[in-house]
Amino acid sequence: MSKFQGLDAYTRSAKYELLPFKFDRLEGDNYVITNMTGEYLEVAKPELHVLLAKNLATEHPLFASLRAKHFIRYADEQAPLDLLALKLRTRLSRLTGFTSLHIFVVTLRCDHSCPYCQVSRQMDGETSFDMTSDMADKALDFVFRSPNPAIKIEFQGGEPLLNFEVVRYVVEAAKRRNLEEKRDLEFVIATTLSLLTDDVLAFCHEHDIILSTSLDGPADLHNANRPRVGRDSFERFEAGLAKARNVLGVDKVSALMTTTDKSLPRVREIIDEYVRLGFNGIFLRALSPYGFAIKTRKFMTYDTERWLEFYKEGLAYILELNKAGIPFVEHYASLILKKMLTSNDPGYVDLMNPAGAGIAAIVFNYDGSVYASDESRMLAEMGDQTFRLGNILTDSYEDIILSDVLLDALEQSFTLSAPMCSDCAFEPYCGAEPVFHHAIFKDVLGRKAESSFCKRNMSIFKHLIGLMKSDTSTRRLFMQWANAC
Amino acid sequence: MAGLTELIFDGQLYGAVAIQKAAYRAMHAFTLDLKVDGDNILCTLVGNITTEQEAFERAVEEFRKDVLDYQLRAQLQVETAPIRNLIIGLAFSNARLNPSE
Repeated sequence: MSKFQGLDAYTRSAKYELLPFKFDRLEGDNYVITNMTGEYLEVAKPELHVLLAKNLATEHPLFASLRAKHFIRYADEQAPLDLLALKLRTRLSRLTGFTSLHIFVVTLRCDHSCPYCQVSRQMDGETSFDMTSDMADKALDFVFRSPNPAIKIEFQGGEPLLNFEVVRYVVEAAKRRNLEEKRDLEFVIATTLSLLTDDVLAFCHEHDIILSTSLDGPADLHNANRPRVGRDSFERFEAGLAKARNVLGVDKVSALMTTTDKSLPRVREIIDEYVRLGFNGIFLRALSPYGFAIKTRKFMTYDTERWLEFYKEGLAYILELNKAGIPFVEHYASLILKKMLTSNDPGYVDLMNPAGAGIAAIVFNYDGSVYASDESRMLAEMGDQTFRLGNILTDSYEDIILSDVLLDALEQSFTLSAPMCSDCAFEPYCGAEPVFHHAIFKDVLGRKAESSFCKRNMSIFKHLIGLMKSDTSTRRLFMQWANAC
Repeated sequence: MAGLTELIFDGQLYGAVAIQKAAYRAMHAFTLDLKVDGDNILCTLVGNITTEQEAFERAVEEFRKDVLDYQLRAQLQVETAPIRNLIIGLAFSNARLNPSE
């Protein structure tokens, strides 16, 4: 007699039950279905209709996947509900931490005069656009009110190295306070590296400060995007990069690119430049609609379709590089893939719901104004003060964090109750982006059917799913990107 | 000249909300006038001034697919709402949002 029961004993005669999920059309007759925690499957239209009618046979190849990914269950099963709840809680666990990223705009002065710059440019010597140490103390009071055990302080400008005394002051004061607070404290300086000195590097080394710099591509493109007296932005960047890596280590210097219309035909060259300079990845960013980008109408000529071509061409090239044995990551894709393929949320502010404005990141401007996000202060520099939450000199932490401006924006843009978004299968991967939609539509919710943010992201989500389906080696690579630390 | 199309949906099979949601999704291409006439739902789709005829026709085709999709989504949502609420309840029942608790 066999020790095991026959297969019949494990066959259920009861019908399955549907668990909550959403669906959207892909190419042709195919659909993507996603559950509450972002796990997805691709199904053909006839299969979707059979699934919804609860007539899918247990022998169907999809059946086991649907059960494993919690799209269906038998009525007596509790485990799928517990697992979905656990994954949902994991994805949203960042909310209990509250604000982590605190941006200090230590000066608006800059040695560059980039035409797309998102904040007003001021003369190098004009100190009235500098943050003072008194202001910095007030901002630090605010920072340590955040309950988050991990606090990141990022210095921005202008060029923050033009007010390095305040950078130094904030780092030292924060570390003194942290002897009692015992937070996981991290510092970042966003700099072009053009004014980097040995003293600055020695300080960064002593305090374990990370440098976040800018690289737009080959020298001619970088210099065209980033004019400065002497027309030597790229040369200064390259020299500064070598020096910084030498003192701080390769992993302590990262680079971000700004995409302009000049970048669009040159994505391969841009990626090659990143590879040549030893970076292990690139963030192929869309142009933001803020600041001078709108004023100079650059944004208006900037076509989302054209940017998507740029992005897809770049991603295809990066896949080629990886297949040729050069490990290289596209960071925007990796953020999305983390949402698609794991239960973790990477905490990227643009792709958060509820929106990350104020509750994931907050900005202290040089004059004490507090903004819900970096984009909010860019908007303010254009004369729109909608997302100015208050001033650290006159308003308390509670006044600012519980302000109607912030709470209304978070509530009204919440994607699970937003038209179109609430039914969208890609909602678990997307974000609310109230500041972007306000900038374009003068409404934090915006009309998603006409939103370039929606069009751009939907297209990327579908593209990534298509790439994973078309090639198992790409899927394996994407799994690595999603699970990288 | 902007495109113009009239469609009729059977009110016993389709809800007005599903049609409205599909129209919202297509607002980049056309606007919708909706009228209930007995068991029928009458839709007049008026192309935006900026929508070329070919793009309008494509958008109408997508709209017809979307109406069916939104109808199915509505049924799925009604059917799974109690479980969704149960899962959310389980997820946050012990969230310890207040560290003093």
